[in-house]
Amino acid sequence: MSTEGKQIPHPTELDLEFFESITSTGALHVQQCDGCGDHHHPPRLFCPACFSGDYSFAEVGGLGTVYGYTVSHYTTERGWKDALPYVTIVVELAEGPRLVGSARGIAPEEVVLGLPVRVVPEKVADDFAYLWVEKA
Amino acid sequence: MMCVSDTTEEQMTTPSSGHPLAGRAAIAGIGETGYVRGADESVLQMIAGASMSAIRDAGLTPADIDGILPPPGFVAWDELAAHLGVPDVRYTSTPQMGGASPTAALTTAAMAIASGVAETVLVPIGWNGYSALRPRPDAKPNKRRFTAAFFETVRNYYGPYGLRSAPWWYSLYLQRYVDLYDVPPEAPGAVAVAARKHAQLQPNALMHGRELTMEDYLACDYITEPLRKFDCCVETDCAAAVVVTSTERARDLQHVPAVILGGAEGHANPAHELTNRVDVLDLGLSRAAPRALGMAGVSAQDMDFLQIYDCFTHVVLLQLEALGLAERGGAADFVKGGTVELGGAYPLNTSGGMLSQGHCWGLNLVVEAVRQLRHDAGDAQVGGAELGLVTGYGDLGDGSIVVLGRGDR
Repeated sequence: MSTEGKQIPHPTELDLEFFESITSTGALHVQQCDGCGDHHHPPRLFCPACFSGDYSFAEVGGLGTVYGYTVSHYTTERGWKDALPYVTIVVELAEGPRLVGSARGIAPEEVVLGLPVRVVPEKVADDFAYLWVEKA
Repeated sequence: MMCVSDTTEEQMTTPSSGHPLAGRAAIAGIGETGYVRGADESVLQMIAGASMSAIRDAGLTPADIDGILPPPGFVAWDELAAHLGVPDVRYTSTPQMGGASPTAALTTAAMAIASGVAETVLVPIGWNGYSALRPRPDAKPNKRRFTAAFFETVRNYYGPYGLRSAPWWYSLYLQRYVDLYDVPPEAPGAVAVAARKHAQLQPNALMHGRELTMEDYLACDYITEPLRKFDCCVETDCAAAVVVTSTERARDLQHVPAVILGGAEGHANPAHELTNRVDVLDLGLSRAAPRALGMAGVSAQDMDFLQIYDCFTHVVLLQLEALGLAERGGAADFVKGGTVELGGAYPLNTSGGMLSQGHCWGLNLVVEAVRQLRHDAGDAQVGGAELGLVTGYGDLGDGSIVVLGRGDR
C-alpha cells in the first residue's frame, strides 16, 4: 500500500509492543492478560479486568463483526483524496477487543453493523502495521 | 417555556440538596470578544482582553483575582497573570478535558472558593480556531497550541485510516447511534436550524445574517457520515472569560449573580480511547449529569433553558439523552416541533452556540447562560429565566456540567 500523504505514526512504549508483535510475525495479535486471560486494546500496563501487570500479545484470528463505521466523503489529507468516498470500520473481534481499520473490498453501500469481517494486517515498517478490514 | 413555579429565589441560592458545594459560588463577571474569522488581535490579546472585560464587568480589578484556571493550551496562567497585573495568585490548575475543560473549571473554582483556598477565580479561554490553519498573509507567527493525552491514541489507531480530526473520530460512534436508533437527518437538522435561528438574534455571532432552513440542511453534503457540514460547529477566532467568586461576595457586585447550584465532571471508561468502551454511547456526561443535578436538587426538566456543548449536532442529541430529557434514542422525537427553539419548552443554545455563534470551547455558552439569568439576553431572552444548565464535551467524550440559578442581590 502507498502511505504517501497519509498519517503514519511512530508508536512508543506499549503501542510499539502491540505493533511489533504483528510486524515481527505477520499475524494479528492483541494484548492478553496472563492472569485472567482477558483480551484488550489498546494495550495497558495493568489488566482492566483483574489488575494484573503480567501480559502477552496473543495471536488472534482477526474474525469479527462491524461495530461502527464511517463513510468519508471529504478529506483534508492529500493521501486520501483519490480514495473518496472511503470506509473506515470499527471491528469487534471474536475475542472482544475492537480495532479500527480501512475497508478493503467493502463498498460504502455494503457496510452495515454486524457484517462479518476479518482484520488483515499489512506490515508498513518495523514499528507499524496497517489494518485492513475485509468481508469474512 | 418551562416555569419553576414552586421554586423561589431564596431556594435558588440556598441549596436544597445539602451538598457542601451547592450554591456556594457564583459567576459575577463575563467577557467575550467577537466571533470572527481572521482576528486582528493575537490569541494572547484576545484572552487577556476577554479576561479584563470579565473582571470589569464584575466591578473588580485584577488585584481582586486570586485564582486562575486556564485551559489545556493556548495560554498559561503565569503569562496571563503578568499581563493582567494579578499580583497574588493563590491557586491555579487546569482541567485536562478538551472542550469540557472550561465548564469543568467552574466546579473547580467553586471548590477552591468554598474551601477558602481562593476567593475570586478567573476562568479564561481563547484561540485562533480559524486562522491557525488559514493565517492571513499579514499574520504574525503563532505557536499557541492545544494539548491532550489522547492525541497518542488517535495518532496510532485512528489517524492512519483517514480520520484526521474530531468529525472523523466521533463518526465512528455517531454512525452507530444513527443506525441503532434510526435517527432521521431531521433530528440533527433541528439542532442546527435552532442554533442558526438563535444566531440571527445575536449580532456578534459568526452566522448572524446567514439563515439556514431544514431544506438547506438536508441538501448539504456529508463530510463523513453521519456528519454533514451543518452538523459541525464553526471554527472561529475568539476568546471568553468569566469571574467566579463566593455567592456572598457576588451579591454586593455589579450584577445579579449566576449561582453555581451544582457542578460535576464525568468520563467514559476508558477515557483515552473511543471504540473499546462497553457502551460507546455512554458519554462522560451520562455520569456527570446525575451528580450535578443531584447536587443542585433539581432535574433537567426544571430548566428554563439549555446550553449544550454543540461541537456536533449528534453529540447534542446524545447529551439530551444523558441529561435524562429523553430515553436512549429518543432525542430525535424530543427535538421535533421547535422544542429546542426560543418559544419552545427547552430553548437551546440561545446565542447560536458553537454551531452558529462560534467555537469558544463552550465558554461562550456559559457567558450566554449568565446573560439569560441576569435577564440581559436581549431579543433572545427567555422570559423570567431562573434556572439553566451548561454542558461541556471534550477530547474523546469527557463531560462536564454546571447547573446555574438566578441569584438575589
